[in-house]
Amino acid sequence: MSVITVFSGIFCKEDSVVHEIAGSTSYRLITDKTLVGDAAGLSGMAEDKIERAFSASTSVFNKFTHEKERAIAYLRLALAKTLSEDNLIISGMAGQLIPKEVTHVLRTCLIADLKFRTRVAAEEKGLSEKEAVKLIHSTDNDRAAWVNHLFGIKDPWAASLYDIVIPMDKKDVMEATEIIKTNLDSDAVKTTESSKDAVKDFLLAAKVEVALVQEGHTVDVKAKDGAVKLIINKHVLMLSRLEDELKSIVNTVPGVKSVDTKVGRDFYRTDIYRKIDLEAPSKVLLVDDEREFVQTLSERLIMREMGSAVTYDGESALDMVSKDEPEVMILDLKMPGIDGIEVLRRVKQTNPEIEVIILTGHGSEADRKVCMDLGAFAYLQKPVDIDLLSEKLKEANEKIQQKKRQKG
Amino acid sequence: MSKKDTILQAATSLFSEKGFKQTSIAELSRTTGAAEGTIFYHFKNKENIFLCILEDTRNRVIAELQRYVEEGKFETGLDMIEGVCSFYFYLAGKMEEQFLLLHRRHPHELAEVNPVCREHLEAIYNSFVNGFEQAIHIGQKDGSIREMSPKRTALIIFSMVDGLVRFKTYNLYDAGALHKDFLELCRTMLQKK
Repeated sequence: MSVITVFSGIFCKEDSVVHEIAGSTSYRLITDKTLVGDAAGLSGMAEDKIERAFSASTSVFNKFTHEKERAIAYLRLALAKTLSEDNLIISGMAGQLIPKEVTHVLRTCLIADLKFRTRVAAEEKGLSEKEAVKLIHSTDNDRAAWVNHLFGIKDPWAASLYDIVIPMDKKDVMEATEIIKTNLDSDAVKTTESSKDAVKDFLLAAKVEVALVQEGHTVDVKAKDGAVKLIINKHVLMLSRLEDELKSIVNTVPGVKSVDTKVGRDFYRTDIYRKIDLEAPSKVLLVDDEREFVQTLSERLIMREMGSAVTYDGESALDMVSKDEPEVMILDLKMPGIDGIEVLRRVKQTNPEIEVIILTGHGSEADRKVCMDLGAFAYLQKPVDIDLLSEKLKEANEKIQQKKRQKG
Repeated sequence: MSKKDTILQAATSLFSEKGFKQTSIAELSRTTGAAEGTIFYHFKNKENIFLCILEDTRNRVIAELQRYVEEGKFETGLDMIEGVCSFYFYLAGKMEEQFLLLHRRHPHELAEVNPVCREHLEAIYNSFVNGFEQAIHIGQKDGSIREMSPKRTALIIFSMVDGLVRFKTYNLYDAGALHKDFLELCRTMLQKK
């Protein structure tokens, strides 16, 4: 008795997995198309206008028309109404709209590497590699924008968003189906009284959001047992007027017992100096002779707004340390010329304030000990989870900031 | 006039003409004859001078409008709308420097990071919007104004009067020539047929 959501990149065999599950269980399949149809019915908007909410590009007129916000509000309402039923498999983008408080949802993500996806594109649709890559990039872009819009997370496949992420280049359809079905038996995703209440809260919040969006207002809405909280996330000078108006609209929605407004994080534009993310180090130096790996990593760090520079051997790394003073260094052990351990030793001698994270594919326990004794901040094995690496980078940054404060 | 008031008055002129960022304390010191040390003695910094001006503007605008509304004999709510509109134009002329200041971008930018500034501006704008809203309520009761959302309509009327003052401030057109038509149009929009 649960709900499964399946979010995926295209050409990851998502249709096969979804139909396999729907076919072998009593779960009813809900797709984006179903929900778009429902939302169109509820709102009177055209289906293609609602569908456009899933697209990364927003109409230039949206600032005035708020069409995207309206579409999303009605999609939420359609989804919340659907969730009054159990045993659903919700496939596509809309499933991301279910709030995390609704716990009887097994959130799955299917993704694969580009090589696998272009192969599937050729097999299933007869696309050339070039056509496939283009299509994959543009649809991935839509998914990234969608996830970023909803959660402020740039990586649509980030593990933190899902209960399971299945690498489809390593698992076949039957294995993936089995993984999902096994996890479905877990107690964590069973329907409980509180998760049922969370669905009711979700429905009320969606109704409130629709009532507001009809009057041209877009604010974040939270509901709990009839108590509604509105979060105003943009700067408005005549705030108390806005609050009054929002409250008077929301009070007319059946089921609302109380309304509270508060200004959100984005209400006060933070000072430009504070805009820079203080959580992450701003200067990261990547040292690794595997060019492709290190380039990709650098791009992913830049996506997470961490500035990073790249060098491919120990000499240039040491050169960079004296010139550019990085805050954090991510270092491979095995490199031609001066090896990683030697780089670590010298850096810690000349610039002990630089925190060094070792990232290696072939390190032994003895290597780990040597590195940690030399003062490495962390010792990670390849392939590394970008989330774990980000976490370590943040921790390193905290240590650096703390030291700076003590000095200053 | 106290030294502090002299500084405030000179600062109002300078800020409204040249802008906040382009005005230096040195210039303020030259204009007023007050030593820079004296200025900093009365005010913590330039921003603080600005906030004092805003607070003073707020108090004056609210007091003047209140007096006008209390003394004004309006036959209907619709008449009151016209009265408050006219009073806004009157005040914009009387407190020209302060209105120039309000129509600059700087206060609104500051309001986004400074809660004190935001609160002053909100109170200034609200005083007039509240006036319009009150007039609409009265008008709807006495039958001079048709059914419409008092809150939203008040904001729209305010955006129009304020827009006309901007017309004058930036010399887009001879705003005075539009005054009569403006009031007539307001009536037509609001009145119950």
